[in-house]
Amino acid sequence: MDFISNQKVQIDAMLATLNINSIEKLFDCIPKELLNEKLQEDDGLSESEGMLLMQEIVAKNTFGNLTSYLGAGAYEHHVPALVGFICSKSEFLTSYTPYQAEASQGMLQAIFEFQSAICALTGMDVSNASLYDGATACAEALLMALRLNKDKNKVVIAGSLHPNYRAVVEQFLSSHQTKIEWIPFDNDGKLNLNTAKRLIDENTAAVLLQYPNFLGVIDDIAAVTAHAKSCNVLSVICANPLVYGLYASAKELGADIAVGDTQPFGLPLQYGGPYVGYITCSKELMRQLPGRIVGETVDLEGKRGFVLTLQAREQHIRREKATSNICTNQALAALASLVAILWYGKEGIKKLALTNYQRTAYLKSQLEAVNGIQTMGNAPFFNEFAISFGCSFNEVDAHFRTYGISPGVDLGQYFPQYKGMVLIAVTETKNKKQLDKYIEAAKTLLSQKTKREK
Amino acid sequence: MIHKTVFEISQPGQHAYSLPKDYEAFTQFKPDEKLLRKDHIGLPEISELNLTRHFCELAACNVGIDNQFYPLGSCTMKLNPRINEWCASLPGFTRTHPLAPQDTIQGNLQVIVELIDILCKITGMSAGSLLPCAGAQGEYTGIKMIAEYHKKNGDTKRTKVLIPDDAHGTNPATAAMAGFTTVSIRTSSTGNLDIDHLKEMVSDRTAALMLTNPNTLGLFSTNITEIAKVVHEHGGLLYYDGANLNAIMNIVKPASMGFDVMHINLHKTFSTPHGGGGPGSGPVLCNEKLKKYLPIPRVEKIENHYKIIWDDIASIGRICSFHGNFGIYLRAYLYAKLHGHYGLRRIAEHAVLNANYLKALIGKYFTVPFPQPCMHEFVIQADCYLDQGVRAIDIAKRMLDYGVYAPTIYFPLIIKECMLIEPTESESKATLDRFIEIIEKIIDEIKENPELVQRAPFDKCVLRLDEVQAAKHPILKHSLT
Repeated sequence: MDFISNQKVQIDAMLATLNINSIEKLFDCIPKELLNEKLQEDDGLSESEGMLLMQEIVAKNTFGNLTSYLGAGAYEHHVPALVGFICSKSEFLTSYTPYQAEASQGMLQAIFEFQSAICALTGMDVSNASLYDGATACAEALLMALRLNKDKNKVVIAGSLHPNYRAVVEQFLSSHQTKIEWIPFDNDGKLNLNTAKRLIDENTAAVLLQYPNFLGVIDDIAAVTAHAKSCNVLSVICANPLVYGLYASAKELGADIAVGDTQPFGLPLQYGGPYVGYITCSKELMRQLPGRIVGETVDLEGKRGFVLTLQAREQHIRREKATSNICTNQALAALASLVAILWYGKEGIKKLALTNYQRTAYLKSQLEAVNGIQTMGNAPFFNEFAISFGCSFNEVDAHFRTYGISPGVDLGQYFPQYKGMVLIAVTETKNKKQLDKYIEAAKTLLSQKTKREK
Repeated sequence: MIHKTVFEISQPGQHAYSLPKDYEAFTQFKPDEKLLRKDHIGLPEISELNLTRHFCELAACNVGIDNQFYPLGSCTMKLNPRINEWCASLPGFTRTHPLAPQDTIQGNLQVIVELIDILCKITGMSAGSLLPCAGAQGEYTGIKMIAEYHKKNGDTKRTKVLIPDDAHGTNPATAAMAGFTTVSIRTSSTGNLDIDHLKEMVSDRTAALMLTNPNTLGLFSTNITEIAKVVHEHGGLLYYDGANLNAIMNIVKPASMGFDVMHINLHKTFSTPHGGGGPGSGPVLCNEKLKKYLPIPRVEKIENHYKIIWDDIASIGRICSFHGNFGIYLRAYLYAKLHGHYGLRRIAEHAVLNANYLKALIGKYFTVPFPQPCMHEFVIQADCYLDQGVRAIDIAKRMLDYGVYAPTIYFPLIIKECMLIEPTESESKATLDRFIEIIEKIIDEIKENPELVQRAPFDKCVLRLDEVQAAKHPILKHSLT
């Protein structure tokens, strides 16, 4: 099938206007030897056949049948029903980047509200309209800091940054011969502050920290940013934005640039994307922000309206001198996050963040009480923590699967020193019954292990 | 109609949220006081009804391809079939975690492998990666692969990327971001890349030429084979910007033209909705030479099983958090399956027919700088009304009043008072005829009352907006008063 409107009557009339007898004529400009052979057989599907095909494929995914405790940068949260309804409205879903502002006020105002909401959460002054995801947001933040400090070519980054984010940051900085120094973390998952202070010096353009870090730990970020400030170094904080409903804001922590991924708000897991990278900064730095920014203005009668602004930073104007090459961003996914943030609102965000913390604390404390389970230490946490069952990850995974549970992320895959450790994420989607089932599965795993060892 | 912002309709104590039941077992846990946020959170308080109405009101001040003709050049605003949305919202897909065990997400991996196969067949390339999140990231990935290729060959002096002066802004921005300096190549008076200028600028310092074909003027570069030969002879590689693939899909393959690596915009050619600015998806495809440099993670089919390759020492590495914009792949995959390769070719044929038809009719009213047949889009110059004080932007704004979106204006930068028009294959002849009637009306208005056009639009939620003031005195968020 196809979605072409014109049929023979219209096609013939159009060809007559063009004074040609076939559509092929229009491709005469292409050298003959390059042309494909014309296909004779229609190998397409009908809509119902297409639906059947996708139902067969989706049936091969069994993950949805498991109760999942996977996090590590992608979290299962409730997606308010309103999100899907708003995002599927034709006027948002099927519009392009709002180049003609007067016909795109809805999307422009929504992006302005997204920028405002992200600023409210982080406490920062200015936000852009979105970047691709948390990893690229980290990379863009560091490139921004390097542009602001042209005489420096070193950045200092927490070794407990998400390993995928780390790889993306290395990718983007590799073209600029930037020196990267990594702050080590101690056995309890906390950053080593003394080393951090030693690595951050006058030659450093920026320091990047994650909040909570990849291991689920809340570091003493303010201590690092205070030292950075004294060395004239920009502080970049990458955070799960939900953390700001409970713990100190990026602004309170002394961030100059705050980035992260808004996935926890309104975006289903959908195998890693679309998610939304956010980037915010203090007012003084805004002209180095990458990507689209919406600003308020007035129309001919002085009435308020919104437009894409500060475009002199962008690729379509500045070309090779642009602050970034980003053009298409994640607008509709940012709208989804905005709707979810507003659905929770001022009070709901705090309650949501608190219950995420408390459910995590419940599971953590219950597991700690099980004989044979070891935690990483007593560092503060938010919605994620790491433990060891004293056996291999594969054993853990296989055992929990018999309970219909996907127990968490294999930390050993990322850090050899944590072989066998499991990173567990808990959100409001897990009730007491489910958490107790996790605890039961943990107990039986340990007792089977003890029996075997006897 | 001017709308209040969501912050301005906030009502104390109102809310839309509901949270699952709490238990004493949970609430006994108190977070560390020292870590708590002290600043208030400046978010609004709003009921679900008011929130719903707010966004419905905003939607009423926005238009998409579902609402009207959207001939935005270079953006391929075709129908976004609703079956794609049905597919992408199936819970079996949306619930999958990016780090889920591989045996539980075989359906996802099948889609990834098969979509790459389809794209390879269309482009003639031998391998690909869906990871880039948009066209610009596809460009970045491709250029990094080229950089790696030269580096592995010990060819370290190749620091320059050649880019035509009519190229998308993302091309030079990408090259710069990947650490290259850019060299601009002129476009000749016939709309082709100036081959003499290319020959003059190409050297053993050339890493690559980035090219769109058909180019941004909507013209097929007839000398493409020669261009490729010149660049290759000097040891450079050819990057294909696939933004305009809709014109040539299954008619001519970028690999046959001599390109080594390219990206495709799934949100253009493969009908995935643009969502007011994204998310897009920019898969990168390449030939055997560059295959081993493709980013990670990759997916392989081994007999009837799909396996993720997390690491490969030869790869350029990672470019995004997880597996790219997977939700977009589902839409593009189903779209390709519905059409089959047969139907995908029909898309190109009808996109080109519609563009040529519109171009033939529009020539009466504007300067047509390139009279030869165009591909899927074409440029016109609105310079014939400058004497009346009317510019391309004025005509564009007046179109909005007549219920069509405006073409891309002032791009490509090399064409004076440029309008770039792309009707796409989905539009009917009747819609194109109506667009011509609208243009005719606007031209009459310019003759009778140019001020009307200069001040347009009148029929939208706002009048003409002041972009200069927005940039001069930036207000970039709602400020609490």
